[in-house]
Amino acid sequence: MLDVGLDHFLFLSAILFIIGMMGVLIRRNLIVIFMCVELMTNAVNLSLVAFAWNLNSIDGQAFALFIIAVAAAEAVVGLAIIIALSRRAHTINVDEVRTLRN
Amino acid sequence: MVDNPLWVALIVGGVLMFVTLTGMAYMTWFERKVLARFQDRLGPTRTGPFGLMQPLADAVKLLGKEDLVPAAADRVVFLLAPIVIFVTAIVGVSVIPFGGAISIFGFELNLFAADVNVGALVILALGSVGVYGIVLGAFASANRFSLLGGLRAAAQVISYEVVLGLSLVGIFMLAGSLSLREILVAQQDDLIFNLFGLSISLPNWYILSQPIAFVVYLIAAVAETNRAPFDLPEAESELVAGFHTEYSGFRFSLYFLGEYINMIVISLFASTLFLGGTDGPGAASVWGLGVVYLLAKTVMFLFFYLWLRATLPRFRFDQLMGIAWKVLLPVALLNILFTAFVRLIANDEITIPAWVWIVAAVVLAGVLVLTSLNDRANRPRPSAQAGD
Amino acid sequence: MEWASVAFYLIATVCVLSAAGVVIARSAVHSAIFLILCFLNIAATFVMLGAEFLAVVQVIVYTGAILVLVLFVLMLVDEDQLPDFHTGQPIQRISGLILGLILLLEIGAAITARSIQGATGGATPENVAAVGGNTQALGRVLYDDNLLAFIVVSLVLTVAVIGAIVLALPDRRVGINQRRGTGTINLGHPVGTDGIPLALPAVRGESPIAAATPGDLRPVAGERQIIMVRDPDAYTEVGQHDAAPDNRPLIKR
Repeated sequence: MLDVGLDHFLFLSAILFIIGMMGVLIRRNLIVIFMCVELMTNAVNLSLVAFAWNLNSIDGQAFALFIIAVAAAEAVVGLAIIIALSRRAHTINVDEVRTLRN
Repeated sequence: MVDNPLWVALIVGGVLMFVTLTGMAYMTWFERKVLARFQDRLGPTRTGPFGLMQPLADAVKLLGKEDLVPAAADRVVFLLAPIVIFVTAIVGVSVIPFGGAISIFGFELNLFAADVNVGALVILALGSVGVYGIVLGAFASANRFSLLGGLRAAAQVISYEVVLGLSLVGIFMLAGSLSLREILVAQQDDLIFNLFGLSISLPNWYILSQPIAFVVYLIAAVAETNRAPFDLPEAESELVAGFHTEYSGFRFSLYFLGEYINMIVISLFASTLFLGGTDGPGAASVWGLGVVYLLAKTVMFLFFYLWLRATLPRFRFDQLMGIAWKVLLPVALLNILFTAFVRLIANDEITIPAWVWIVAAVVLAGVLVLTSLNDRANRPRPSAQAGD
Repeated sequence: MEWASVAFYLIATVCVLSAAGVVIARSAVHSAIFLILCFLNIAATFVMLGAEFLAVVQVIVYTGAILVLVLFVLMLVDEDQLPDFHTGQPIQRISGLILGLILLLEIGAAITARSIQGATGGATPENVAAVGGNTQALGRVLYDDNLLAFIVVSLVLTVAVIGAIVLALPDRRVGINQRRGTGTINLGHPVGTDGIPLALPAVRGESPIAAATPGDLRPVAGERQIIMVRDPDAYTEVGQHDAAPDNRPLIKR
């Protein structure tokens, strides 16, 4: 069907994975690092689906579906951690505000 | 999957887009007229007969306005965000089937732009991508009210997306497909009840077999399109104009168009899924009648939207989230369970021994008794109230 | 060259460029926008690979839910206030680039030099079409062969939701009255604010914010605080304000 074969998709997947990995190493912003991790999982998904297509098997797609589900769980927990961290970083100390009043 | 050749699909898509845009324009006219009648007014009357030229006049006015960008705004994102919501809204029409194959001049033509294997999910996906138009536009505006509106939109759409998707699972189970065309075909059978020897034949529209899902879908769809009474992201009494506070002229009209097209798509989707779409008496034999049926059903849904807007006050945000997570989600899940159960029994794929029924009945009765006891325990005593 | 190949190269180019944009973009919101673009293009490659259901799930879950959540958090949280994990130091940047290039070379070599061909499965396009399409075929694999994994994944999701709720709960060590202020998250992002009032003029009856001159406003970037008036139920003294005739500022810093 395509001129492009399995190798093309695998290369695309590899490049995306490496870019994501570099992002994790290079960036300082916690949320951007989180996004780069998501990019890496997606790259892995892409190679799984590419193999599934090449080998005429649906199992790869089932794997990718599981990865998406686990990634969603990971995202939920990760973002909750970020919110909890930001709350620690702010001085939400109500007592301090109280003492400032008088 | 049934396919048109590519160039036919392009032509059909173009025609659909044109029709949707015109329909959207007259949707605004329809809304103004209906709302006016609800409020004992006349609505637009000056431009043309019955004010029919009003959409044109509005378009000229909106396009002629100055396109302002706030100085502090994130310029590129600000300019691109309205396009996102507009495009995602209008692409949704492409997967709606407007009927089966018809022949024009001896040429076989399918009345849809694309029959996607996962058509129903495509519409859900487009809805969830469309929220970026709101969130990014709100963010790029550099305005506190916009930001609050964007936050609300994000939370609201994520919550109601879940409910919307789950409310449709029952239909997917009954139809055995995610393709809207196959769901449409499945609804053209007859649903035959055998009650006391009396055989009633009804159309197999899924509103009859999935009434709970229909109600859940209706509520979730209103929230998904950010319409009253769930229009929290643009609540004018709290947030000025919400996410589009800073938008003006053409870009504001894109938001405006996007919202109305979303309403039309969601209504078309609902008619296709629950009301048999193009199905109706004589639709199979008379040419073009199916499309008329579909549009009539859609207009009915749109009228329902306007009715809600004219009647109900806006919800509070915690009420909105409460409805989604505490009421609609459990109801949708129970509906899925129930549908799966009934389907398995009806297809004789499982047989349930009598003791299971007895145990289930006992457990159900126990739960009911316990909850009623709990309610009674929590209720304030009349004597204590009298003492106050 | 076939149209499919043109489409692939187009999609792949956009994909790689937007992925690079995620890493390069200065603001986190721009990173998120690039990531949306990248994910949509990955969904397009899924369609090319005959995985329509997965493509739609990718759009719904990744772009529709996860990235909306990321944007949501971006608006709630002031990124500059997040704790520093000392990532992104110069040495890490350089070593990251070098390691990435080395890894890319290795993977590239592995892809081109690989000689093992896995066993071909039975899901040829004809067989998939026979069961009704990609969705139906995937459903069979999920519920027949991988049922246990499916249940485990749903359990993982449930646990994650509970964990997230527990993590995001307000601090339980403070009393119920004080929790009122911390129970809701304030909008951390400084977008659209002019600053936080430093010292407020004590002209009674006048809105403190409106009466503040620009000099009284602290720029948003430094440390932030929540300015809270007392819990309304806590007012028990009578005439407290009337008993304090001096023009004491309501809130000091």
